[in-house]
Formats: sequence, C-alpha cells, structure tokens
Amino acid sequence: MKPTTQINTQPATSRTFWQEIARRVNEFRLLAQDNILMTGLLIVSIFVFLFIILPLFEVIVQGFFVPNIGTNPDEAGKFSLEYFARYIDPVYRTHAWNVVRDTLTMGVLTATFGTLFGFIFAYTVIRCNIPFPRLFHVITLLPTISPPFAIAVAAILLFGRNGLVTHNWLGIEFLPGVNDIYGLDGLVFVQVITFFSVPYLMLRAMLERFDPAMEEAALSMGASKFHIFRTITLPMLTPGLAGSFLLLFVESLADLGNPLLISGNTTVLSAEIFLAINGEYNQQKGAALSLVLLIPTLTLFIFQNYWVKRRSYISVTGKPTGGQITVKEPWIRWSFIGVSALILTLVLGLYSSIVVGSLTKLWGIDNSFSMKYFNIVFNRGLESIIDTTFLSAVATPIAGLIGILVAVMTIRKNFSGKAALDFFSNLGGAVPGTILGIGYIIVFIQAPLWGVWLVYAALALYFSSVAATNTAGRAVVVALGTAIGYFLTRLPGEADTGALMTFGNWQYALAAVLFVAALLAWFGTSAEKRRLTVTPILIMALFLVLHNISGAWIRAIFIWSRSLPGTQLPKIVSSVSDQIGVFLQPTFTLMGFTFLTAGIFTLPQIGPKMRMWVAAILLSVSAALTLVGEPLTLIGTSYIIIFAYAVRSLPASVRAGVAALQQIDPSIEEASASLGANAQYTFRRITLPLVLPAFIAGLIFSFARHMTSLSAIIFLSTPKWRILTVEILSAVEQGGMSLAAAYSLVLIVIVLIAIGLTYFILGRTLGNSGQNIDFNV
Amino acid sequence: MSFLRLENLVKEFVGRGGEGMVRAVDHITVDIEKGEFVTLLGPSGCGKTTTLRLIAGFEFPTDGRIILDGDVINQQPPNQRDMAMVFQSYAIFPHLNVFENIAYGLKIQRLPANVIKEKVQRVLELTELTGLENRPPNALSGGQQQRVALARALVMEPKVLLMDEPLSNLDAKLREVMRTEIRRIQQTLGITSVYVTHDQIEAMTLSDRVVVMNQGRIEQIGTPPEIYRHPRTAFVADFIGTTNFVDGTVTAVDGDLVTVDVLGQSLVAPAPPRDLSVGQTVKLVLRPEAIELVETGGQYEGVVHWSSYMGSLVEYEIEVAGQRLLVTDSDPRHTIVYPKNHTIGVRMIDECLYILPE
Repeated sequence: MKPTTQINTQPATSRTFWQEIARRVNEFRLLAQDNILMTGLLIVSIFVFLFIILPLFEVIVQGFFVPNIGTNPDEAGKFSLEYFARYIDPVYRTHAWNVVRDTLTMGVLTATFGTLFGFIFAYTVIRCNIPFPRLFHVITLLPTISPPFAIAVAAILLFGRNGLVTHNWLGIEFLPGVNDIYGLDGLVFVQVITFFSVPYLMLRAMLERFDPAMEEAALSMGASKFHIFRTITLPMLTPGLAGSFLLLFVESLADLGNPLLISGNTTVLSAEIFLAINGEYNQQKGAALSLVLLIPTLTLFIFQNYWVKRRSYISVTGKPTGGQITVKEPWIRWSFIGVSALILTLVLGLYSSIVVGSLTKLWGIDNSFSMKYFNIVFNRGLESIIDTTFLSAVATPIAGLIGILVAVMTIRKNFSGKAALDFFSNLGGAVPGTILGIGYIIVFIQAPLWGVWLVYAALALYFSSVAATNTAGRAVVVALGTAIGYFLTRLPGEADTGALMTFGNWQYALAAVLFVAALLAWFGTSAEKRRLTVTPILIMALFLVLHNISGAWIRAIFIWSRSLPGTQLPKIVSSVSDQIGVFLQPTFTLMGFTFLTAGIFTLPQIGPKMRMWVAAILLSVSAALTLVGEPLTLIGTSYIIIFAYAVRSLPASVRAGVAALQQIDPSIEEASASLGANAQYTFRRITLPLVLPAFIAGLIFSFARHMTSLSAIIFLSTPKWRILTVEILSAVEQGGMSLAAAYSLVLIVIVLIAIGLTYFILGRTLGNSGQNIDFNV
Repeated sequence: MSFLRLENLVKEFVGRGGEGMVRAVDHITVDIEKGEFVTLLGPSGCGKTTTLRLIAGFEFPTDGRIILDGDVINQQPPNQRDMAMVFQSYAIFPHLNVFENIAYGLKIQRLPANVIKEKVQRVLELTELTGLENRPPNALSGGQQQRVALARALVMEPKVLLMDEPLSNLDAKLREVMRTEIRRIQQTLGITSVYVTHDQIEAMTLSDRVVVMNQGRIEQIGTPPEIYRHPRTAFVADFIGTTNFVDGTVTAVDGDLVTVDVLGQSLVAPAPPRDLSVGQTVKLVLRPEAIELVETGGQYEGVVHWSSYMGSLVEYEIEVAGQRLLVTDSDPRHTIVYPKNHTIGVRMIDECLYILPE
C-alpha cells in the first residue's frame, strides 16, 4: 500500500510552545467535527479511566495507607510502610524475598521454555511440510479456550499423587518429602503447556510473513543453511522471540489459577496477593504486594511495547507471503517434527485425562465409569454455567464496541494522547488480574467522588458543547442542569440513601420531566427529524418507569420459579429473572451516564431555539441519576463483572478491530467521504459491512477470554452471580479433581459451541467470502 | 477571480518520530479556471498528492486559503465539498456491484430512484460500461474498475473532479487508452479537473496547463508546450523530457538575440526575459532532437561515444569539445547507424536553442 501522504525532507520548522498547544487543540476541534467519533473517544476514555487507570492507581495508593474498613478506627487512613518494611525486617525478610525469587524464577523458566516450544511448533508447522498442519494448529489453540487451570487439573490427574502415569503405571508411592508434581517444577510445566500457544501464534505469524526471497538470496550467494539460519533467519526473528519471551513472562506472573492449584509449598506473588485478600482480608497487604508484582510486570510490558516492537523487521500486519521454503534436510525436519509430536501427544494426553477423569468414579482408586460429576455440574453448578455464559456474552459486544473504537482511533485518527490510549487499553489485559480485582474492590465499594465528578464533568462539558453554540449558553446549560440535578439528590429521603433511591415516585417525576423535554423537542424539531429527537427522549422516560416497576415483575418471576418442579427448571427461571434485571435495573449512575451519551446524539437534531432548554432538562435528570446515593457502587452487581470481563479481553478486542480494519484500504472510506457521505454514513454503509465478519470472528476470542478468566473475577463473583472458573477452583480445593475436570470440560465445550456457531452463522450469511476469515488470533 | 484558487497554501506534518514539523506543501498559489484540466506534476515526495488531498479536504491546510467559486473552504469536511475524487487504488466498494458503486453518492443525496437510474445509465454509456451494472467489482478487469471509479465520480457532476494517479496501476497499453478516454470525457462534460501524476507524458497529453512541483514548491505553471520549450528552471528542463545542459558565455546582446560562446563556437539564441551582460555565464538547454548530425557543414566535430538503435530513431551520445551530448536522430533518410569512435559533424538548430532564464 502506498502511503497516503508524501512528505519531503524539508528542514523542520521550529514551533513555539503556544503554537504547539494551538495545534493540539485544533486536532481535537477537527475530531469534534464528527460528533460520533468524539463521543466514541469520550466513552472509551471514560471506560479506560474508570476501569483501568483508577483501580490501578488506587491499588498503588492503598499499599501505603491503612484501609478505612476493618481496622482500628484510630489507625484508619494513616500512612504506613508496614508491608514494604517486611522486605527488610529480619522476621519476615526470608519469606518475602523467597516469594519474589520463586515468582521471578517461575517467570523466567516459563518464558524460556514456552518461547522455545512455541518456536519449535511454529517452525514445524510453517517450514517442515507436515501432514495435517491444521490439526497441529487447532490442538495448540486448545489451551487458549480452556479455563486457566485445566492443564493443572489434568497434570494432577496424570502425574499427581494418585496420577495415572505416576501412581498406576510407574507405581511411585509418594511419601512426604518425595518430589511430586506439586511445586515450582510442576507449576512451570503446567504454565508452559498452558501458555506456549502465545509465542506459537506470534512466531508463526512472523514466519508466515518472512519473505523466503531473503533466505534464497543468501543461498544463491553461497551461504550454508546453518550460516543462513544464524545470520539471516535468527536475527530477523529475534524481536519476535524477545517479544514472546517478555509476553510470556508477564502472563506467567499474572497467572493465578495454576499457582493456587499446583505450586505446593512454593508461594508466588499472585497467589500471595489472593490469599492476603481472600484469606487474611488484609487490603493493605494485598495492595502492597500488588505494587511489588506490578513493578516487574509493568517494566517488561513497557519494554515489550516500546523497544521490542520498534525493532521488529517483519510487520505482522501484512498478508502472509505466498511461497514458503521448506526444510529439506531430513534430520532437521524430523527432529523438529519429533519434538512437536511429543509435545502434541502430551497436550492430547492431558486433555484426554480431563475427559476420562471427569467420567471416572474415583480417579486412581476406583476407575469405573460414572456420570456423577456431571450430575453435580448440571445441578449444583447449573447457575454458574448459565451466569458465566450470560455475563460473558453480554460483555462481548461491550468489549467489541470499545475495541473497535480504540482500533479506529489508533490506526485511522491522529490526536494527542493516542499513544496513551493505546497503552492503557492494552494494560488492562496485561496486568495481573489479581491486582485489577483488588483495585475494583477498593474503587467500586465506595467510588471516590472526585472520580465520579470527573467523569460527569467530562460528559456534561461535551454535552453542553453540542447543546449551545456560544460559551454563555453552554455555561447556563451546565450550571443550571447540574444545580437542579444536585438539588434533586439532596431532597430528604430515607436515611442516607437519598430520596430517589427509596421513592419510586421520584422516578415517575423524572420521567414526567423528560416527557416535558420530549414535548419541547417535538416543537423544536422539523417534522422529518422528530423520529430522531422525540423518540430517544421518550425511551428514556419509559425506561425510568420500567426501571421502577420491573423490580416487582422480576421478583414475581423469581418467586414463581421456586414453585416449579424439578431441580434444574427453578434455577434456570430464576437465572433468567436475574438476567432481565441486568437490562432493566442498571444502577442509577450508569443510567445517568447512558442518558447523557444518548443526549449528545439527540441534541444536534433539535432546532437551535429549543435545544438549550431540552439540554438543560436532560442534563438535570442525568445529573440527578448520576449523583444520587453512592454513585458507582458496583461491587456485588453484575455490571462490575461485565466490565471486568471487557477490560481483560480488551487487548483481544482491539486486536480483532485492528485486524478487521487493516483489511480495508483507507482510500475506500475517503472515496465515500468524497462522494458526500458523512462519517456516520460511511461507517454504516462501507466500513461496517466490510469489517464485520472479520471483527466478529476475532471477537469470539474475547468471549473465550471472558469465559476462562479467573484472576480479576474471583474477587467479584457473588452468590447471585456465580462464576464457573471460581466454582472449579473451589471444587479443586475440596479435592474433587474429577469434578473440576467435569466443570472444565463443560466450559471448553461451551466455548467450542460458541466458536462453531459463530463461524456457521458467518459462513451462512457471507457465503464464499466467509472463507477468507482468518481463524487465527 | 478564478474558479478554484489555492492561495499561499502551506501544509506541515509532524515529522517522523514526532520531532519537529515537516513542510510538505510550501506556499503554493494556483488559479484554475472553470472547465480547465490542470495537472500537478512532480517526482514522488514533491507535495502534489498532499496538495490534491488539501483540495479534497482529507487534510486541512496549516496556512493559506482554498477558494472554490468565491467561498473559502479551508476547513470544510470532504463530504460537504462539491468535488469528487478518483483514487490511485480505485477504492471501489468491494461489497457493492457496479450500479450500486456508481449510485452510492446519488443515494446520499436522496434522489428519486428513477433519476438515479437515469443518471447512472448516462454515465455508464459515457464510460462504456453499459451491461456491467450487476457485476461485482472482483469480476471486473483493471481497466473496467478504473472506469467504474471514474464513473462514480463523474455521476456526481462535481464542480471539481480530482484524480490521484488514476492510471498508475494499469499496464502501458491500457494506460494509453484510458488517457484518451479521460481527456475525451473531460472535454465532453467540460468539467474542471485537477490531476496528479509523476508521468510527464500523461501530464503533457491530458492537460490544458501543467503545474510542475518540487520539494513542496511550484517550479513552473504553463501549457505543455510552454513547459517543454521554455522551462523556467533547470529542474523543469531536466524533469520534462531529456535535456543536455551546456554552459555558455555571453559575447554580445542584440535586442531579442544573444550571441553566446558555447563549447568554443559562437551561437545565436533568443534572449531570455532578464538582463544579460557581456561576459556573463548562462546555462543553455539543448534538447536531443535540437541537435543535428551532418556529414558536412557542422558547427562542431563530434565523436560517437555510444549509440542505440530504436527503430524510428537512433539515440547517440556524442562527445563534443570534451562534453557528452545526448542526440536523437529521427531523420528517416539516415539509413546507417554511426559506429563508435566515428567522427561526425554536429549542428545546433538555432531556433531550438534556449537560454534558461534563471
């Protein structure tokens, strides 16, 4: 592709500070010409701020202060270095440093072996001309769609104290002190198998795009095969190898599931943090340890992003090159194939043990066939299956929307802060989920008011800029709307929950106010545009009413579910009643934010005369909803789980968006603009139809990531919203390896069904073009 | 006032690596009349594409004004400008068929279906695409895709038609055909057009006027013959066609004629539009076809250094007084090709001598 602009090499002109500021302001002014794009940027920024930056910031801060909750009131909120001092204190020192040493050892070993295995696999698939490369590929991807400790469970089934291989075949009797699977070595083994698909995919993509002409050129100059590998192939792949090493290191440190299951007497940081929160209920300790874990993770993440990526000679964004040279020397070819086949057998063996283990009565002791574990899964575990699938599914379009917005912003637009947006949107998926989870607990039990006000201010200010054309008008809208809204929340109500929370009548009152706004909008809009202005406002009013009365319906469905026969039906129906609640009963603050955003889209269609007044009313209603009670108290709700899912899968979603967008030439969108289409029309008619299939295909990996994620979610699941991965963990803790295997199998099957269904539907609707979708991540 | 005016246009980009600003377009002023076909010509990186993108509205100027039909349109987004662009990559919408591609812009204008149909039919005839309405783009040849891209822009009846190297992806034969097509259609419709290319032949054959650009600046604006015969700068003389540059010393100035001492001989050439004094050194442009090879009566004696037979003409490199000159001999009566080291008489055709004004 030819660069769209050609730049000559004129001497750079120097600019003053203020000119630079003016340029940057102008960038945003140009961006704001497109209302939707600017709103998108605003939503993405708020999302990244609330669910990535703020929690991480609060975790770091919390490490230095005694928490307010659950401590001696005299001590609460005081500055304290207690948990950092433990790295010096002779009593704690040995243990503290041991944990750090073991964590880093685990990271280095996993990263080294994982990269090695990944490379061997990628080289085998691309260069060694193997039969069934597709099979190799698919089996390698199995760990990416498995719960984080499926391999650990399998490893224990095969190589544990009652393991099939160790106990039954080799007849090893494990006495205390004998080296068994539990420990650092077992942990590294499990992590390597779990994570080596990451370097495999990276290096495979690189090898695919490696122009064989380069090696052929070297060959024609008389270089030997080994010389070429040493001087051409290896240097070109070094950035990829280094990149996957760093990525694996970060993933290994972030892993929680495997260490909890299999690390035995060894403790690594992520597990130590988890136990500090869930065992000792010590927030400060958890936060302080999080900072210790965050330092190496963040360093390597930044290093990977800004150093290794820049040094890459091969762009992995392009199309694979046509021809591939294959290794001719039989001994090289067969040693690669041999090693790969060995690993493959191991992976297959591990997964078979999950299947067999889940169907065995008492593994290692009574190996007869039994369905009892699946009985437990589909009775006691049914709710968690339904809840997890539902929440993962709901989070997928949210992650997708944010992902495509970030992708559009970062690859198609230019503005200050683009690099930061790219960085932070990736960070949320890269930092150990444990840290993020603690951050969510700290932030969303009682959200810091400044954070809420900041988000409100950002939305309200942009809202006002579309509400009025002059500064005075904007000031009036913001001041009036906010003041009225704030006043409404201060009206006397029950206890300290605020008036709106207790009296359903207030929601009717707000709905009535919105009805007035709709009326004004009716008079203020030309006839053909009323559909676009009156309808959204009426929907808001209706939603307020629905929000109030749906509580009773949902309760009724729940009570009815109790009277249903059988054990499964009541659970399914009551889950459905909860799910309806997710859509109809959002928290007030989320409603406020949503109304503001909807207002931003609605206002420009209203005539200038009425617009300001409609805006003021909309803003006051939104402000009241945003600020009532304890804003953004999301812990215990399904929303925090949904958002946490979306954050964890955001890198995958952005990647899906970027991959999809890169399929289309930017001049196609420019052609549309040049023919008179505005950005919205272009997006709907050109970009979306071209991008959607590939994007959805990519999004399925976000869904898989949701289903399998554990480390952040473990702090957020509640009795009402039960999460499958958490359920598996507790099954393991109660010693039910076979039960854990059954749960894992169900989870894997759900993800596989989702993938199959997606491709089936895409294939149906797209016919032949569906075949062009790249199945890879 | 002209129909489309670019006034002191400047465009700066943030340089690679985010350091400093790079000026891609540097104070450009061009006036384009209604119905005129103007080409921006220059080597890659000269700022011609950036200039076109500024006109189209895909980039906004750092400084200066773009005036269309009396209105300053500097910061107007592209979809509000009454222009249509033909892209180098064609940028045909791959999920729409030929008809839908061409009707795309008309549908945005919410024209009634029968009007759309009629307009599309007319432009299909004009671009000789009739019968291909229902074809998907991937079932079209390169030339047909090019026509669809052109038709899609033409059907909008824009005030200005913009074309960004539209022929560069076609093979040589097809390029020639499409070149004539574009000129024919542009003449039929009388549509104001701005065309970007690095191919001088395209520029010469298509345009009413050519704007030669280099390093973000304009070197010369003129009709094709003006640009070829009277290049204002050495860059233009060198970029358009092939040229021999020779230094000369002025020995006499006589009204419109100047006598110059060139390679040891006195030659008379038309005076350039500037004051010359005796003894001053000037640069002469000697086009290869302005030099004759003669058996007798040559002004100089030259030695053939290298020759290349091309059928309709022969190219020579002849060494004259220590300088090598490129000469093309297209006289059909010359039946032999002079061998290397052959000594031959050389004549400069007086009317074709040209002194660079700068």
